[in-house]
Amino acid sequence: MMTRLLMGSASAAALALMLAAAPAVAQNVLRLDEVPVGELDPALASDYADSLLMFNVYDTLVLPAQGSPGHVPHLATGWEIDGATFTFTLRDDVTFHSGNPMTAEDVVFSIERMKALGMGLSFLLASVDSAEAVDTHTVRITLSAPYTPFIASLVRVPIVDKTTVMANLGTGEGEMGDWGQAYLSANSAGTGAYSVTSHNPQEETVMTLNAAYFGEVAEGAPSEVRLRYGLEPATVRAMVARGEHDISSQWLPPEVMVALAGEGAQFLQESGTGAFYIKLNTQKAPLDDVNCRLALAAAFDYQTAIAITKITDDVAGGVPATGAVPVGMFGANGPDMAMAQDLEAAQAHLANCAYTPSDHTLELSWIAEVAIEERFALLMQQSFATLGFNTEIVRVPWVLFTERVTSPETTPHISQVFVTATTGDPDTLLYPMYHSSTAGTWQSPEYLNDLEVDALLEAGRTAPDEAGREAAYAGLNARLMALAPTIYGFDRNSVFAASTRVSAPALTDPAQAFGLDGMGFSFRLMTVTE
Amino acid sequence: MLTILRQILQRIGMSLLVLWGVSVLIFAIARVIPGNPARVALGPNATAEQVDALARMLHLDRSIFIQYGFWLRDLLRGDLGRSLYTNRPVTQDIAEFLPATLELITVAAVLMIVVGLPLGILAARYRGRWPDHLVRVLSLLTVSAPSFVWAVVLMLCFAYFLPIFPIAGRLSEAFDIPRTTGFLSIDTLLAGNLAAFADAAHHIVLPAIALSLSGIGQAARLTRANMIETYDKPYIEMAQAYGFPDGRIARIYAFRPSLIPSLTIIGLDIAALLGNAFLVEAVFGWPGLSRYGVQVILRKDLNAIVGTVLIIAAMFLIVNIIVDILTVLLNPRIRHGEARP
Repeated sequence: MMTRLLMGSASAAALALMLAAAPAVAQNVLRLDEVPVGELDPALASDYADSLLMFNVYDTLVLPAQGSPGHVPHLATGWEIDGATFTFTLRDDVTFHSGNPMTAEDVVFSIERMKALGMGLSFLLASVDSAEAVDTHTVRITLSAPYTPFIASLVRVPIVDKTTVMANLGTGEGEMGDWGQAYLSANSAGTGAYSVTSHNPQEETVMTLNAAYFGEVAEGAPSEVRLRYGLEPATVRAMVARGEHDISSQWLPPEVMVALAGEGAQFLQESGTGAFYIKLNTQKAPLDDVNCRLALAAAFDYQTAIAITKITDDVAGGVPATGAVPVGMFGANGPDMAMAQDLEAAQAHLANCAYTPSDHTLELSWIAEVAIEERFALLMQQSFATLGFNTEIVRVPWVLFTERVTSPETTPHISQVFVTATTGDPDTLLYPMYHSSTAGTWQSPEYLNDLEVDALLEAGRTAPDEAGREAAYAGLNARLMALAPTIYGFDRNSVFAASTRVSAPALTDPAQAFGLDGMGFSFRLMTVTE
Repeated sequence: MLTILRQILQRIGMSLLVLWGVSVLIFAIARVIPGNPARVALGPNATAEQVDALARMLHLDRSIFIQYGFWLRDLLRGDLGRSLYTNRPVTQDIAEFLPATLELITVAAVLMIVVGLPLGILAARYRGRWPDHLVRVLSLLTVSAPSFVWAVVLMLCFAYFLPIFPIAGRLSEAFDIPRTTGFLSIDTLLAGNLAAFADAAHHIVLPAIALSLSGIGQAARLTRANMIETYDKPYIEMAQAYGFPDGRIARIYAFRPSLIPSLTIIGLDIAALLGNAFLVEAVFGWPGLSRYGVQVILRKDLNAIVGTVLIIAAMFLIVNIIVDILTVLLNPRIRHGEARP
């Protein structure tokens, strides 16, 4: 009797659990996922998930123009440039989530905080000598030397609420303690269109629409956004199919993307911000001979490389490259100049090379965490074998790769990396890769040392107008094509699977794209329908 | 009784010594993994100056002995250092992620015991007959497939094709429960929200089953084997000859002595759940310590690696002590000082 009673109770409990009515879900919620962790403190932000948080919780003085290069005012109403001095006039109608008004003091504090912490993207402010509040709504920033792309750098300098941070300083060395790190890693103190309701860096950040936001908010913008971290592809697929998830991360395997498309999902895309580069170590024989490098560049099968990234007939993770500069940036070649395999040209270059290919075995590395690179390595092995080169494919974990590239002797002959322009400006893409002073990082395993390249990179930084910059980067592009320190594999196209209830013009319409990684996910410009 | 108490205290003392040994070992091993933790922490865009500055801040420019000295000093102040992965104190991360995992493994452990042991008893009781064959096949099946396979299978069957259970997470979006203890089963009750409690229970069912299945099979096989051995003992034959009821013989005379050797293995299995939970947590989007542990290893987050490993080691040791105590309670010879646990 007792057993039956217990079993009955257990069954009833189980049934109750199974039938536990799904609680009412808030309307207009957008759910998406990214790789953990989500770093909420904007001064520490560097990854994609961090960018999504930063662009939605905080605002910057300027924004990238949509659909074209250049920048438009945002927290600033305008600016004046006088050599190395930038003077910004601020809006007077902006308040932080706390209700405090945004003033010049907050801008100065945000810049000083980023520089003092020296983490995240603070290197973008390395040239800032001083920042001062001229009056409540005017800020003057002085650089150590003229640097035209500084305006572009500001898209990564979010403005924090000084009063709130100062009231929440944690323990640390010096008067400023931890500069509010502990507080800002768990709370928002921005002016952004969304404020943070809850944040678990490994699980989820929940953001709520800021009703008092000063800028444009689309009709039907999500009232709540749930940014989840570290979901497995199978989980994402099941959740999208059940209508419990709206946008996947770009890291979903292509086969899962295809499966989701088969179930009616749409694709969102972000391109023009970076490229897939195959780096050749110019200090190691036989790649210290430019003709050998040109031979490899001509022998590479560009078309198949893009096919490897293909998701559907129309959508791929790469679009044809036209040179060192991705299409859409200053100095890029036109789309009609797509790179293509040319085995005859490869043989011609090889004939001028001082080395005999079969005398050398090229170490061809791929990053262990990026599985698709193994397929590119195999593709290269096959292509380069037609020229007589022996290759040895080596799998290198990222942490080891960053160690190996610190010296030309330990740097592999061939390395593969995806590089994006941190600020959307070609300077942050090309200078760290090709200037002789920056050699020996994961971005610059070529160890290129060319005076003309250095001069053109400097010209791109100092040319006072867009025409001058365009000319500098066009010249740089041509020079880099002639030197072939890199095989310009393809321009990167980040693809996200999304449910059809989401509309994201900045990720579907090139005329509304921002040209900055992650900014297409400005949730205030998206709409969600039930 | 005093003897038992002394033995348990000895065990606790020895466990503390083991924990110290583990801390030395893992501290050294974490630093042998290739790669610069400062570089990994700061991300690909950091400059060499930034990397050097962080390395200095973490004392990575000092010898490993000095680094260990700093770490030990901070540990004695209750500080496990700062995680470079989450940019928070490791103690805060552990306090946030450990309850989720503990809650999951507690439910999985309960399932292991309440399902695994009866299945073993059933198989032994009906040795050579169809219930025995069925239990053996099921046990083999659950033991041979790893937890993450079960996680994916269960998710596809009962959350995707047959949407009975939630796919991921610990609680539905509609509930906003203050995290007092981190155990949602407790926090929901503390908040007086029974619907949220049912929802949390609803969420834990699939991950707990996925995590416990191989343990259930293991417990059933062990119990069956030990009970069959016990059934061959003369005193069982005598009990049968005296006409004692089969159920009583199974429960009291066969099962209880058979449980003692199984207990140690089942205890270790439960402790091992903490390490095995990673993939289950990943599949079900469960924000637990196992997932955190793997992420910090991949990112060479030195303080977090040491902290997580110490917690896992401590769990093993605590479970061992509990098993020892249970063994004492179950084994009258130990209670009376005729044998050691």
